[in-house]
Order: sequence, then structure tokens, then C-alpha cells
Amino acid sequence: MAIEQKFTDLINADIDGETSEAEKVELQAFLSDNAEGRALHDELAALRDTLDGIEQQTPPPHMRHIIMNSVPPTRNKEESPGFLQILFATPALKYAVTFAAGVFLTLSMLSSSQISNQTFDKVTGLVGTVAEPVNAALASSVTLSETNIAGTVSLRSAGSLMILDFDLVSADNIEVQADYTDKTIWFNGFAQLASKGTTVSAEAGRVRLGMEEGKRRYAVYLHNEGSRDTTVNLRFMADGEVIHEASLDYEPAD
Amino acid sequence: MSKTDDTKLIERCIAGDRQAFEALLAEYERPVYNAAFRMLNNRDDARDVTQTVFLKVFQNFGQYDPSRRFFSWIYRITLNESINWLGKANRLEPLAFEAIDEGKGPEQECDSARLSANVQAALMTVKADYRTVVILKHFLGCSYVEIGEILEIPEKTVKSRLYTARQQLKDELTNLG
Repeated sequence: MAIEQKFTDLINADIDGETSEAEKVELQAFLSDNAEGRALHDELAALRDTLDGIEQQTPPPHMRHIIMNSVPPTRNKEESPGFLQILFATPALKYAVTFAAGVFLTLSMLSSSQISNQTFDKVTGLVGTVAEPVNAALASSVTLSETNIAGTVSLRSAGSLMILDFDLVSADNIEVQADYTDKTIWFNGFAQLASKGTTVSAEAGRVRLGMEEGKRRYAVYLHNEGSRDTTVNLRFMADGEVIHEASLDYEPAD
Repeated sequence: MSKTDDTKLIERCIAGDRQAFEALLAEYERPVYNAAFRMLNNRDDARDVTQTVFLKVFQNFGQYDPSRRFFSWIYRITLNESINWLGKANRLEPLAFEAIDEGKGPEQECDSARLSANVQAALMTVKADYRTVVILKHFLGCSYVEIGEILEIPEKTVKSRLYTARQQLKDELTNLG
């Protein structure tokens, strides 16, 4: 004998946890006296448990990063520009303020014992944050798409300031080594955007970053007196193994 | 996340705050990806649809009605995009089975993966309009009222589609063993 539609609806609603107290009582009375109804309820409950028990799929590790990279930066057009916006709207001032901010940030983060001389060589453990990545002219960039690290590294320049802009997402702890061929170039500061847990060390011709897994945005500031040609060789390592190598070239505009 | 939290984040997104958008992305990335995966039964397609959904959300914040819940809006976009994807790519159902790694021990993994695969295979035999209701109910945990709001259909229709879909799923799973 077919189950009355009213009770089929009640059984389904009960399975979905959408019955009122009165409906529950009515359904229980029906089920206690109807084997077919109980069988349907049991079948649907088993199906519900199966469906609800299916584990969620994990999104691809770099998807969030890719989405964020594809979203254009926007500004609220109705807002009147503040002091910093006015400053940063002027290219020359943008550079000057950015450079000053980089130096200030570096100085503010270094303890006196870490500073061996005024060129900031041989320093370790700098950690800081910047509100926005620096927007200097792009010289060259590389894209990484490895299993455990993806993203871009760009070399930007503004006068004698060179900026290595790391925009990465990693699935492991990664060590990044940047060697610059021109030994007269010196490390001039480091900043990171909304991330923590990074270690930095610098010596003549080389900067090392230790990054934890996750999304990371770094800026390494280099001083290139005379804006000479140079190449920055990048090496990415996980567990002591090299997982990616790349080079970034800088040539001054004529 | 509460409706108020979402609304605040959306206000910040409209003002150009990328961090607010990233917070929304962190909150909804997984359910959106899972809904797309269950609709399409393909990880690459689910990834592409998820990316499209978030770009559309970002580009259309101005069209979001703050009197409605954000998840209703984004889930609706997700399901519509998935259905469009099925249509555009002429992906006729049922789609090929894609093995699912559930990340357990070998024996458990085998059972769990088989069950998951069977459920997915059964799900793909259900018409897309009905599949959406099952996904919203069982994979995204929405109530009848919320499903009605997302799909813009009466609650009575939600129930009817859900019951029919479940009957088909039950029969299909029995056939699959």
C-alpha cells in the first residue's frame, strides 16, 4: 500500500530536520504503525547520512592566489584623496617617499648590534610590513609554477633603487637565494605585505629569504649606485633541494 | 560568517579594499569550489568556474542587494555558472568518473573513495535543476528557505525537487552497489 503523500512529505522533512514539534509527534505516531513508512524513513536517513558524510574537496593550493592576482586593484572614486594619496600620485614624490619609507623601515627594524656599517650588509632577521607594494618601473619578471611554489618575482627600478618584488604562494617552507652579479650593489632594506614568519639575511652580493608556507609578498630593496647593468640570479630551495632557478636582468634605459 | 560580517566586508570591497575581498575569498572559496565540482564532476572545470565566480562577484559588487544574504548571491552565481559551463562545453551527462582522493588509509581510502565516486556518479544522472537542490542541501547545508532564496523558487518546489532527486539517487546508488 502506497504511503499517503502527506506522510511522504513529513518523512522527507524529518530527514532534513525541517519538521515542527507537532509534525514530529504526528510522524512518530504514523511510523509506529506503518512498516512501509519506517522502511522509507530508514532508507532516506541512510541516504542523507551518506550524502552528508562525503568529504569536501580541497580547492587547488594556488587558486586563491591566482584569483587575487586576476582581480584588478580598485580605488573608491568618491573618496577625496588623503595626504599619502596626493604624495603617491606624483611620480617623483612616490619614488622619494617609497625610498625613504624603505630606509626608515629598515632602520627602524635593525637593532644597533645588527648594523655593522652604513651599507646594511650582513644583517639578519629583519621583519616589517608595508601598506602597499612599491610601484617602480618593471625591468623584468619571472613566473613560477612548481608543485610547491607559484607566483611571480619582478625586478623593478627607480633611479638607483632596485626592488625585488616577490609575490608568491608556497606549500612548503622555502628558502630563496638572490645573488646579484654586481658586487657594488648593496642590500638596502626589506619589507613584507601582510605576512609574518620570514627570515632575511644579507651579505655582499647575496640576499637570503626563509619563507613559511602560505601566500607571501615581499620587497627586497637594493641600492644600485649609477644604475648599472646587472643580473639577479634566483634560486628556490625546499629541504635543501633546488626546486626552481631563474634570472632577472636589469638594463638602464638610455 | 554572519550577514553583518559579510556586509561589512562587501562595503570594504566596494571601497577597493583587496584584503576584504581576500577575506571573502577565504570564507567562500571552499564551498564555491565544492558546489562547482559536484555540478561538473571535474576538478579543472570546478577551478575555472570558481575563478569566474569570484571575478564576477568582484566586478558586480554594485549589483549585490545587501538586504539578501551574501551566500545566496554567490551560490546562485556559482550554480548558474556551472550550468552555463555544462551547456557551453556541451558536456553531456553522465560525465566520466573522476577518481577522488579522500586522504585516508589504503583500505578506508578505497571504501571512502568508492562511495564518494558512486555518489558523484549517481549525482550526475540527476537533472541539473534537481542536482542543484541536492548540492545546496547536502553539500552546502542550506535550509529549504535558503535554497528557495538562492534559486528563486518557492519552498514547495524545493521540497518536490529534493524528494524526486533523492529517489533517483537512492535507485542509482542501489544499481551501483
